[in-house]
Amino acid sequence: MAGEGILSGQLLLLPPLAIERRWLPHEDRRKAGGVTGVDGRWSDMPIQLIGFLLVAPALAIVLLLFIVPLVSSVTGAFDVGGSVGLGNFTKAFELYSGDMLFTLVIVLLSSALIGLFSIMIGGYLTLGTNARAVAILRWIYRWPLFIPFIVVGQILRTFLAKNGLMNNIFIELGLMTPAAAMSFLDWRGIVVAFVWKQTPFVTLLLAGAMASIDQSTIEAARNLGARRVRILIEIVLPQVRQTLLVGLILSFVTMMSVLSVPLMINAQSPTMITANMAFRINAHGDYGVANALGLISLLMTSVAAMVYLRQTVREHSR
Amino acid sequence: MKAKLIAATLVSGMFCTPLAAAELTVLTAGDQNMVDYVNEYLGPLFEKENPGTKVRVVGTGPGDAGSQKILERFEAQNKAGVAKWDADVAVVHEKFVGPMVEQKFLDAYRSKIPSGSLVTRENAKMALGTNVDGYVMPMFNSQTALAYNPALVPNPPKSYDEIVEFAKKNPKQFGYNGIKGGASGVSFVMGWIYAYGGDAQKLMNGPFDESETKNWDKAFASLKEFSRNATLTPGNAGTLDMLSRGEIAIGPVWVDMFYSWKANGQLPPEMKLVLPSPGMPGQPMHYVIPAKTANADLAQKFVALATSPKVQAEGIVKRFNWYPGIDAQYVQSNLDKDTWQKLFTDISPEELAKNGKPFPIAPYNKAILEAYERQVSN
Amino acid sequence: MSFQIDWKWIPRGIVLGLLAFIVFGPLTNLILWAVAERWYFPHVLPLKYGFSFWANVFSPRGNAMASLATSVLIAGLTVIVSLGLAIPAGYALARLRLPLRGLILLALLIPQAFPNLPVYVNIARIFYQYGLNGTILGVVLVHVTHGLVYAVWIATAAFSAIDRELEEAARSMGATALRGFWDVTLPIAAPGLLASAIFVFLESLDEFTGTYFVGAPDVTTLPLLLYTAGSGGNYQIASITALILLVPSIAFMFVVERFLRSDVLSKVGH
Repeated sequence: MAGEGILSGQLLLLPPLAIERRWLPHEDRRKAGGVTGVDGRWSDMPIQLIGFLLVAPALAIVLLLFIVPLVSSVTGAFDVGGSVGLGNFTKAFELYSGDMLFTLVIVLLSSALIGLFSIMIGGYLTLGTNARAVAILRWIYRWPLFIPFIVVGQILRTFLAKNGLMNNIFIELGLMTPAAAMSFLDWRGIVVAFVWKQTPFVTLLLAGAMASIDQSTIEAARNLGARRVRILIEIVLPQVRQTLLVGLILSFVTMMSVLSVPLMINAQSPTMITANMAFRINAHGDYGVANALGLISLLMTSVAAMVYLRQTVREHSR
Repeated sequence: MKAKLIAATLVSGMFCTPLAAAELTVLTAGDQNMVDYVNEYLGPLFEKENPGTKVRVVGTGPGDAGSQKILERFEAQNKAGVAKWDADVAVVHEKFVGPMVEQKFLDAYRSKIPSGSLVTRENAKMALGTNVDGYVMPMFNSQTALAYNPALVPNPPKSYDEIVEFAKKNPKQFGYNGIKGGASGVSFVMGWIYAYGGDAQKLMNGPFDESETKNWDKAFASLKEFSRNATLTPGNAGTLDMLSRGEIAIGPVWVDMFYSWKANGQLPPEMKLVLPSPGMPGQPMHYVIPAKTANADLAQKFVALATSPKVQAEGIVKRFNWYPGIDAQYVQSNLDKDTWQKLFTDISPEELAKNGKPFPIAPYNKAILEAYERQVSN
Repeated sequence: MSFQIDWKWIPRGIVLGLLAFIVFGPLTNLILWAVAERWYFPHVLPLKYGFSFWANVFSPRGNAMASLATSVLIAGLTVIVSLGLAIPAGYALARLRLPLRGLILLALLIPQAFPNLPVYVNIARIFYQYGLNGTILGVVLVHVTHGLVYAVWIATAAFSAIDRELEEAARSMGATALRGFWDVTLPIAAPGLLASAIFVFLESLDEFTGTYFVGAPDVTTLPLLLYTAGSGGNYQIASITALILLVPSIAFMFVVERFLRSDVLSKVGH
């Protein structure tokens, strides 16, 4: 699941994708249908059954503890006090339509900013000419990767407050007057948190992809006198589009899952609907509306999810 | 061998339940100060008077959400038909006692403890419209008021009309937490409806009339307008925190939290309180004992201790700045004059009697909260 | 030796400095709050430094020690269960011909593609009925589901990278399948499995949302403690707890830095 922990897991998930072509087992050099040792103990059990038995527990856990609740979330959304109906959705729209819109705005804006910054940083890492600057940049940008979202929520809460460290430093440096100090602890703070945490992840993917494209294309463009920005946009970017898409989609899904950041930075409207779902459950025990909101967030991500799943499956069948 | 030992320990850790001679489990809703009260004062006192027992307190969180969790837990255990419930004493907001009594979760223990006769106040018998007589003992009575910084607010607003004026002239200087994250904001909203939403007496005492909700449209529209000029804080502690950091100048707070924060040095000493008219609600929090608790006697002893005049004086009033749960005269005699007066530094007993109101009865309560979400925050 | 000042360092310096402020500013804030005793508006820096809150956090009746122990216990159990499920599954997916392998892989991938909040909400409800809500077992199960996605995939990749001939050699010397697995396959796959174990451990340690719905209020982990302290306005305790949470993550970062070169990542998707 897209989650709140370090790296959101996607990082360690991706190198294995590259190795999967080797999954096709060799044409069978053993006796057909069985695994044998010298004593031939297992030879009666077909290989498929053993394989299935080995996979079954893991599958069962995912099935029972993810798929089943997911389905019950969908059905629960239509459960209005025992009977089937759309009452939960009407109520959800009456109470939270503003927040639904803002969730989309927040996540799309964050994704756009993440994309922009990661392209800039990745581009400099690939095309930068000064080795020391590149090394420094590479060292700096990775730090937020390893900070869990809950900690991000806490540190930004005191950093972005009206009298938080950021404003105070600006005031001390004379860049701003105290009267102009403004609190970022609203939906903008949520955007800042997401961009801060997810940019390093997408940058890491992108930098890797950029480093592996054919250098001759870049050289050729450079020889023709193209400026670096142009090389980035016209030569490098089209070749790494796939990776960028995957990174942004994973970030999108992650951002729709995170609860700690909206709770800690700003739970008051306008906020993410994740915070409203938690409020519905905790203060009112209202599973109907909470599930309706959940279904809406599922629909928002389903478009992104389809693209991601199709992309990954296509990778495997190559 | 070593690996097996570690594995065994970890597995047993999974099912570990601490087995003490007798363990009393207390569930308490509310902010951290509620948990601190048991952990730092009441728990050790009880353990000293009843050697061999251990008091374990679990805080379920501030605001209605905390009490909702306790109610849900009782409902789940009731549905599952558990013979002995895992909580012995629960401390909940009055809003949730009604449903608990109606669903027969609680033991009518008040007549069985000595301090049961020491409380005669109405809110120990009726909880937001439901008769709960005999099932509860009030732990304390609390009140909300507006805390303000005299340096920034030389003429504090004394009524809701003046609050609106103030917010217009000083945008973003008034802060409250909406209805999420704590009941101080909820209290402010209820006070707003009392002031602008029609018949306050009907809201407080009933009967519930669906059509009454239509009278609130204008009030919520003006509240929405007002909230644009106000700052929304994260919760009870959030409002106090922003006050101390100078990010807002005035906001609704729980009086006990205000005094405690001052005493801890979390709030500058110059802050003051004012209780605006026509009033802001306060509420008791109640001790309840589930009917199916495993330690009924111990639970009753605990509540008896907690509501004894000595503990009410020393713990509730002196240490934690709450108004007592049992009747004032029993407590006052246990305290010196200064400590007692401390409770009334900024708000006199007369003002308290005049502007301290109860919350609306449960159906109105719920309707107001929902209307707020629909009309103000959306 | 002449010093030639590279004037390009001016814009470079500004941009790098800005980036450093963006990245390290909030982190510095964290450290300041962890050692601040009194910090009032309008002061830019704390008025009084001290470690009294550390004593508070680690006091015997304080929550932090219990939460830390709970967090570590849950994380440890999560690793054991996850690996226990992932190793056989990974081996089967890597080595044995399976029917519907594509579908199984897809099923294991789905948790990655959907937001997990609605799932957690409903798991909590289901667990209520079985008395698993608020228990360590319940929280471990939730963390295992989260960690399995990665554990299985990494295990599969680790096993498929092993040269079959080594296993065949062991087999031809008379070892049974199980013995071959234990003595040959597993040790070679160990580094990859260890990486996934560390990873699952850290994910479990940092997990907030699932524990919030399934564990609270009985099971308090460090992230939940952080949240409660933060919303209660007690920033010192929140910051100290955050620092405790950060230590294993940052340590992991330095370890991973050695392995995550961009050429490794460049293999992604090709």
